[in-house]
Amino acid sequence: MNSVVCVKQVPDTETLIKLNADGTGIETAGIKWIMNPFDEYAVEEAVRQKEKSGGAVTLVCLGPDQALDAIRSGLAMGADTAVHINDAEFAAKADPYATAVALAAAIKDLEYDAIFCGKQAVDDDAGQVASILGELLDLPVITIVIKFELSDDGKTAIVTREIEGGHAVIEVPLPAIFTAQKGLNEPRYASLPQIMKAKKKPVTVKTVADLGVSAEPMTVIKGMELPPERQAGKMIEGADAAAKAAALAKALHEEAEVI
Amino acid sequence: MPGAEITRELYWNVVGTGFPVARVLTYVFALIAIILFVLGLLRKGGLIDRIRMMKLATGPDVPRTDNAGERLKYAIAEVFGHRKILREPYQGIAHLFIFWGFIILFFGTFMDFFQGDVVEPLFHANILQGGFYLFFSFITDLGGILVIVGVIMFLIRRYVNRPKWLDDKPEDRIILWLILAIAVTGFLIEGLRLQATELQPGHPMNPYAWYSFGGHLFALPFSGMSIAAVKGLHQVIWWVHLFIVLGFIVYVAYSKLLHIFTVPANIYMRNMTENPAPLKPIPPESFETAETFGIHLLEEYSWKDLFDSEVCIRCGRCVAVCPSFLTDKPLLPRDVIQNIREHLEAKLKLALDADGKVHVIPEESYEGPGLIGDVIDKETIWACTTCMACIEACPAYISQFPKLIDLRRYLTMMESDFPAEVQEVFRGMENNSNPWNIGSHTRADWAKDLEVPLMSQKGEAEYLFYVGCAGAFDDLNKKAAISLAKIFNAAGLDYAILGTEEGCCGDSAKKIGNEYLFQMLAETNIEVFNGYKVKKIITLCPHGYNTLKYDYKEMGGDYEVYHYTEILNDLIKSGKITLKNPVGDLGTISYHDSCYLGRYNGIYEQPRNILNALGVGGLVEMASHHEKSFCCGAGGGRMWMEETLGTRINQKRTQEAIDAGVKTVCTACPFCYTMLTDGIKELGKGEEMQAFDIAQLVAKAAGLE
Repeated sequence: MNSVVCVKQVPDTETLIKLNADGTGIETAGIKWIMNPFDEYAVEEAVRQKEKSGGAVTLVCLGPDQALDAIRSGLAMGADTAVHINDAEFAAKADPYATAVALAAAIKDLEYDAIFCGKQAVDDDAGQVASILGELLDLPVITIVIKFELSDDGKTAIVTREIEGGHAVIEVPLPAIFTAQKGLNEPRYASLPQIMKAKKKPVTVKTVADLGVSAEPMTVIKGMELPPERQAGKMIEGADAAAKAAALAKALHEEAEVI
Repeated sequence: MPGAEITRELYWNVVGTGFPVARVLTYVFALIAIILFVLGLLRKGGLIDRIRMMKLATGPDVPRTDNAGERLKYAIAEVFGHRKILREPYQGIAHLFIFWGFIILFFGTFMDFFQGDVVEPLFHANILQGGFYLFFSFITDLGGILVIVGVIMFLIRRYVNRPKWLDDKPEDRIILWLILAIAVTGFLIEGLRLQATELQPGHPMNPYAWYSFGGHLFALPFSGMSIAAVKGLHQVIWWVHLFIVLGFIVYVAYSKLLHIFTVPANIYMRNMTENPAPLKPIPPESFETAETFGIHLLEEYSWKDLFDSEVCIRCGRCVAVCPSFLTDKPLLPRDVIQNIREHLEAKLKLALDADGKVHVIPEESYEGPGLIGDVIDKETIWACTTCMACIEACPAYISQFPKLIDLRRYLTMMESDFPAEVQEVFRGMENNSNPWNIGSHTRADWAKDLEVPLMSQKGEAEYLFYVGCAGAFDDLNKKAAISLAKIFNAAGLDYAILGTEEGCCGDSAKKIGNEYLFQMLAETNIEVFNGYKVKKIITLCPHGYNTLKYDYKEMGGDYEVYHYTEILNDLIKSGKITLKNPVGDLGTISYHDSCYLGRYNGIYEQPRNILNALGVGGLVEMASHHEKSFCCGAGGGRMWMEETLGTRINQKRTQEAIDAGVKTVCTACPFCYTMLTDGIKELGKGEEMQAFDIAQLVAKAAGLE
């Protein structure tokens, strides 16, 4: 089974986020970048399927120069090749639609039976790209997948997806698009030889113009704001448990106004 | 010649007046024994073959033969002085007695030979006479008694109160009984001779018979026997004694008695580098070029690693002190070494050609047990806390735990096979340069409300205060960092911290086997240190201390590194800080030695001096302290791993504090502080006991809280 995995580079979840001057994005200087954690599940699943039944795994990533680090991480995990749509300007203003258009343009020339994406990127949390990609490539999309199995003839996939309060098992003819949820697998820690090998794996670099894409974003970010800083906790004092409970109830009612 | 009557007849009762048949036969048998001994060394699979197998090993090692003079001096002092062996007094004294007894007896036998076969035939003189003979007689009897006392001590230990961790193989018993038989038959010969000669009234030696006090005692049972019977028995036992002695010599080549030669050799080849427990170097450029990292094949060890397995006599001292073993985990350092030895012997069989040559076994054609998994269990590999108690305890100077780190390196870097919880730790170190994976931008937040100079603002300072991840990110240990900053400020120390420019030292990564990650972290730090022309560094954490001091130096980062206890000790001594304020009711206090301060770096007294300077009194030692201190359980990356096997190491250590009856446990290591704090809570002693980092107490006593 040949797979394509869409990979996005995002700020590390622990990194300090500052807004840029006009408040429409974040300050990118000094940020530690990582591969979107949900994309790691996607890469891992594609590599495991390759290890089980053969084929090749190709990464597709839209992002500036530094996104190459995320691509190398994916290659170290076991992907074979990558297409890097290296267009800083386009990537900076791309909304989910524009991103999907660029990815679709890169993917359409590739051979694949499945496309894996993370269920969302942890930076903007839009969770739309896979679905739009499905529309653009005219493929079925199965979201929030926690188990993936290839049928014996390799023509369909039987996947389990999370639904409210339970699981649903779905069979879908390939090719199709799948979005990975936590629990699908445990992404591997790339071994040193794999990290070294990844440095030599082929990465095709393309610009948006090379792909013939001229899509404009359908949405524009007007403003961003940081959540209010967390207030320090308050210790409830009291002589005994009953007094403390009374003080807590009072605080919840009068100060927090939640009861 | 005066005193000429004070002597004895060599070969008395064995060699008559005619052709000295017995004398010639003795030499013939001795020659045969020596030939058998040599053949034993040269036999298929014998010591020489094993050494040839060791020579196939390709792994790098520290220098082992430089500084010949110093090595020789040290080895002689250690071998004859028994310094390390005497660390365990009972076994130490027993071994010392046998060792010195044998040396005396060897000297005695040599004198007999020298007199009988050199001096007498060539010069017709007798040096074994008069006062010297009496001294000779006394000292050799003393030697024999020492041997008997020593061997009986060992027999009691082996048969009566054998510790459960002490191996008991046939050779262990055979050797003891052989030694006892040599000494007893020797004394019997002497006793029977005395009975027939000196003890007879009127014999010229009669007044001096007690100089041969050992033989004298052994003569007592025969006092009623006729002279003829005594002489007959004497002849029989004389030959029995000879054959046991010769048998013993032959047995050396076939048993752990070889340690008579291999242990001194191993002491001579001891690690003389500064680093107390060096790991194999992996040059940074090899990450790009080498095909494999760490060790998964016997032959990837260094030849000295393999020689270590030859030297081990299974005394088990490393087992008796291993915190993992003592909490019922499947790690016995001795067995690691012994398993390597058995594996070497098994592989040697495959490596031996028909013509007796030892050849390299190609990896692809080898189908026997694997080093990792079969020879040494993965659970064993991950159980080690790198506390160095094994190395410290080993009287044969074997390096045990680093052999496990080599295997971790293979598992981690080649196979990504490590306890699952470690993956997050690696990610934390990679993405945020700390094992907790807390945002690296918060590294200096602990100092927000203090006047702590930043290197980036100050430009340069005499000391870099390297806080380390625990002091910077862990709430418990931030208290120690804050205390230290306040103390340094009060003492007017010219220092600065790196703030967010500081990175993880990488100790945990290194000990878990991720040398690649370690070197990335170390390189980043070294670059920053050098950028500020750092020369002196104070660390809060003993792990950072050890890493910066030795491992960074190996990577070209050469600094004077101090642990904060060294600095505080000096500041207190020189009066730069005065400890006049009350520190509260601490009760009796015990100091817990951090492995990386104590065993690794010999910092035992500075922390104790500081505690004594607090003037609170009541400093008591726990059952294990100083060189024999018991690990908290967090070293070697164990801090970040679940402890699912056996009981918990930190609880065992905390129990020692409880048993010592102390109210306060002090330490100078963030990992230890965390483990002891947890231990106190886990054992339900939170009300009556407390743990502190020494820095907190000093700050309090200096009125800085």
